[in-house]
Amino acid sequence: MPEGKFCNKKPIDTAEGINELLSDTSGNNYYQEMKELDIDSDLLWKTIQNTCKSRTKTWLEICAHCGMCAESCFLYQVNGRDPKQVPAYKIQSTLGEIIKRKGKVDNQFMRDTMETAWSKCTCCNRCGTYCPHGIDTGIMFSYLRGLLYQQGFVPWELKIGAGMHRVYRAQMDVTDEDFVDTFEWMVEEYEDDYPGLTVPVDVENADIMYTVNAREVKHYPEDLAEAAILFHMAGENWTVPSKGWEQTSLAMFAGDWAACKMQVESVYEAMERLKPARMIGTECGHAHRATVIEGPYWAGRKNGQPPAESIHYVEWLAEALNTGKLKIDPSKRIKELVTLQDSCNYIRNHGLKKATRDIIKHIVEPGYFVEMSPNKEHNYCCGGGGGFNGIGLFRKQRNIALLTKRDQILATGAKLVLAPCHNCWDAIRDLEEEYEIGIRWSFLKPIVIKMLVIPEHLKPEE
Amino acid sequence: MHDLLTGLFFWIALGVFLIGVLARLIMYFRGLSWQLDRVAYTSHPGAGFKGAVRSIYKWLIPFGTYGWRTQPFITIVFFGFHIGAVLIPLFLLGHNLFLQEKLGISFFTLNPCFADILTWTVVISAFFLILRRLVLPEVRIMTTLYDYFILGVAIAPFVTGLFARYQVGDYSFWLNMHIFCGEILLIAIPFTKLSHVFLFFASRAQLGMDFGIKRGGMKGTKMAW
Amino acid sequence: MFKKILFATSATQASDHAARVAFNIAKNYQSSLNIFHVMGVPTRGYSQVVIDVKTKEEVAVDEDYTAWVTEEVRTYYEKHLDGSFEHTIDVAVGFPAREILRQAKTIKPDLILIGGSTGDEDESVYKKNSAGSTLQKVAKAAKCPVLVVNRPAASFWGGLSNIVFGTDFSKTSDKAFDFAMKVAKALDCEVNVFHAIDITPLHTGKILTQDEIEQQIRESLRKIRARYEPRLKELKAYSMDVAEGIPYMEIVKYARDNMADLIIMAHHSRKVVSDDTRLGGNVEQVIVRAGCPVISINK
Repeated sequence: MPEGKFCNKKPIDTAEGINELLSDTSGNNYYQEMKELDIDSDLLWKTIQNTCKSRTKTWLEICAHCGMCAESCFLYQVNGRDPKQVPAYKIQSTLGEIIKRKGKVDNQFMRDTMETAWSKCTCCNRCGTYCPHGIDTGIMFSYLRGLLYQQGFVPWELKIGAGMHRVYRAQMDVTDEDFVDTFEWMVEEYEDDYPGLTVPVDVENADIMYTVNAREVKHYPEDLAEAAILFHMAGENWTVPSKGWEQTSLAMFAGDWAACKMQVESVYEAMERLKPARMIGTECGHAHRATVIEGPYWAGRKNGQPPAESIHYVEWLAEALNTGKLKIDPSKRIKELVTLQDSCNYIRNHGLKKATRDIIKHIVEPGYFVEMSPNKEHNYCCGGGGGFNGIGLFRKQRNIALLTKRDQILATGAKLVLAPCHNCWDAIRDLEEEYEIGIRWSFLKPIVIKMLVIPEHLKPEE
Repeated sequence: MHDLLTGLFFWIALGVFLIGVLARLIMYFRGLSWQLDRVAYTSHPGAGFKGAVRSIYKWLIPFGTYGWRTQPFITIVFFGFHIGAVLIPLFLLGHNLFLQEKLGISFFTLNPCFADILTWTVVISAFFLILRRLVLPEVRIMTTLYDYFILGVAIAPFVTGLFARYQVGDYSFWLNMHIFCGEILLIAIPFTKLSHVFLFFASRAQLGMDFGIKRGGMKGTKMAW
Repeated sequence: MFKKILFATSATQASDHAARVAFNIAKNYQSSLNIFHVMGVPTRGYSQVVIDVKTKEEVAVDEDYTAWVTEEVRTYYEKHLDGSFEHTIDVAVGFPAREILRQAKTIKPDLILIGGSTGDEDESVYKKNSAGSTLQKVAKAAKCPVLVVNRPAASFWGGLSNIVFGTDFSKTSDKAFDFAMKVAKALDCEVNVFHAIDITPLHTGKILTQDEIEQQIRESLRKIRARYEPRLKELKAYSMDVAEGIPYMEIVKYARDNMADLIIMAHHSRKVVSDDTRLGGNVEQVIVRAGCPVISINK
């Protein structure tokens, strides 16, 4: 069977297609069909010739097989130092082999490669900073995922996820109407407590255009209200676009570059339409990476920048606290040991370590903040990055991967973990569920709201 | 034999080396693609340059990076090997005399005693590099015959040089072997993994530009290598 | 009166006493009952997998599963669904409080009916991922009255004849009073207006003398008379009382002594106070302790 009913090389472009694939519970048939899926070796080799240029080729060539990347990889450490988990081995035995064999690889090889690409690498890019040659295996894995996606070898959830972006321009089946409706509903719910709270939709030339993660709309819309409250308290002139409001990209995890482009262009169109001074995304790591760091390149923007200056939520929050737009009541600061999860996607890969630590200074009583070790750009992945969190097939591997973060958190002695990233937040929640170490975890928004000094004119009437 | 090795062969080896290196460097940089690599190289040359220089310079210092510091054993062995491997060919007295004669140029020369120590360090380090490949599972799994071959090509001039230096057996045989191995090394550099002697700088520069332009450099954060 | 009721249930024993009240009301007042069950809480990041609230296992939600759970709920309540009132069953996936509110936003019920805590609290899947209880969140944000049945004792309920309305003289309390009047008129009940003076030192900052207390009682009674009596006169029977103590205790005691079958109170805590209902505001305390159903009014 060359192309299956569920598992095939065609991307999903319709809502019906998504529903059909969803109806295959846990992707059981999908993975069954994958065992028969043919490889289009010509296409694979042609794609490699067109896209594998000197950077990647050189990386693969000059890798000295020295093994210095081994210790840098948390998956290597946490899997009993299995030599098969050495980053260089992982990429050489997959991408390296495909290139060596000029794309002539078999089905079993491709399925093994899929397992390596999605369960042995979270694209955290830590190894890249430990290689003397500057070989970034994470980047190559991301590239490899693109090749695998093209051939139909992609985990079920990510095929669906990429399809969601193609159909809804959002990672879940949340329509533009749902988004605006939910945001308005949330603001309505909170306006008694915060008089004057509104959600300005599609306002042109605002100072801030806010974009979110569709999961907030779908499952925890309080987050939307919290964002509105903080902008309101800071006196910001802000807006949300009715279209192009989704900042995340499961397509990036899936390696569906065409969908990545569609998704990010929807946000850029919103920027061009509303001409905000700045775009701010929610507390999400990969969303920031997709829309702000990688997105410009997918969209073909030669200067590598989005149409409007785009910053991460922690940058805005740090700025608002530093400039006094938001004021914290010092008596309400966190007075227990607390630690911070550095998200790979915007700390290691966008240098925002100072912003989060500025925030900590404002919201934590001095002496109560404990850094993880290692931290900042050398921090380990939460254990669920790069799509790992959501893939049922690799759930076992993912749970092992959480051990690194568990031990890092335990070593700090903190019972509260600040996790300003959806993926990290999820992974930390799951690690508590799995290993029960008695911790709590939180985004920044709810914590900051609790300790705000509310300006007199914004207080509710009693 | 000696004349051939120091004459025609020398010129061929040097020519292949220089042209090969130049061609490969040009190919490398021409092959960089802002869109595929997702780094806006040309739009932000300043930030890119700063990032590139930092990325190279930090890694050239022994124990200068987190990577080096976390693994002191390999760091010592690496630098033990590489410092000698770079200094000896260029700055040994004998080499300079030869260059003076052939090319009319010469560099600063090393103290002979120091040069001996460096050469022995190279050979001993190479021994540990091989030992590492045999003993450590995380290195062994990736090691191929090719890796030993490359290491062999790289240390052959040093070993033969030492034989000549201490005049073990037939001096002129070892000298010719030494010259021959050196020329093989020169020729091998552009075409094998040994290309890292110059592509190291290219690759480090590229990742440096990545960090300098895209991954925080333009946010004012210098990567803490 | 209660034309459309949203009954949020775990479809387990934990909701049984709430269910008894729900079916009772529906039968007695010809309500249309929407039985709403949140079957699973999302897990695994962006995936479609949820943790089933009953089995506590990870399941992939699809049409079949949804249909199956709907059928399970129907079976669970089979003997009550005897055709004497209209009913619909809906199931959803998500965090319970949010999904209950979402459902309320869609169907716009006159009353949300909800059970108290779900079984052994530490183990409950509903508890995960959410600060504050489902109850607190729903009571805080709902646009219609929320009727809570927490203790089994609260569910032995024959019908409505005697309402206790607890007031703290706030604007929200006035709304709660409007609602109490509406119910009383429609169902021909007696309304007992009650105010409790908080004399705990934590609240007053000092220990009050008996004279001070009695002074306050007199003032409060005057307030009640001025504020509510003109309208109370529209009813056949009513009473007004003030007592001092720990407010929620006094209300619970008062309701018990007066054989009340419903307590109506305003809910106006600004924030979801804590994960622990024991630390919640007065309404939460009354809900937890009362021997009859409690209606919390927010807007």
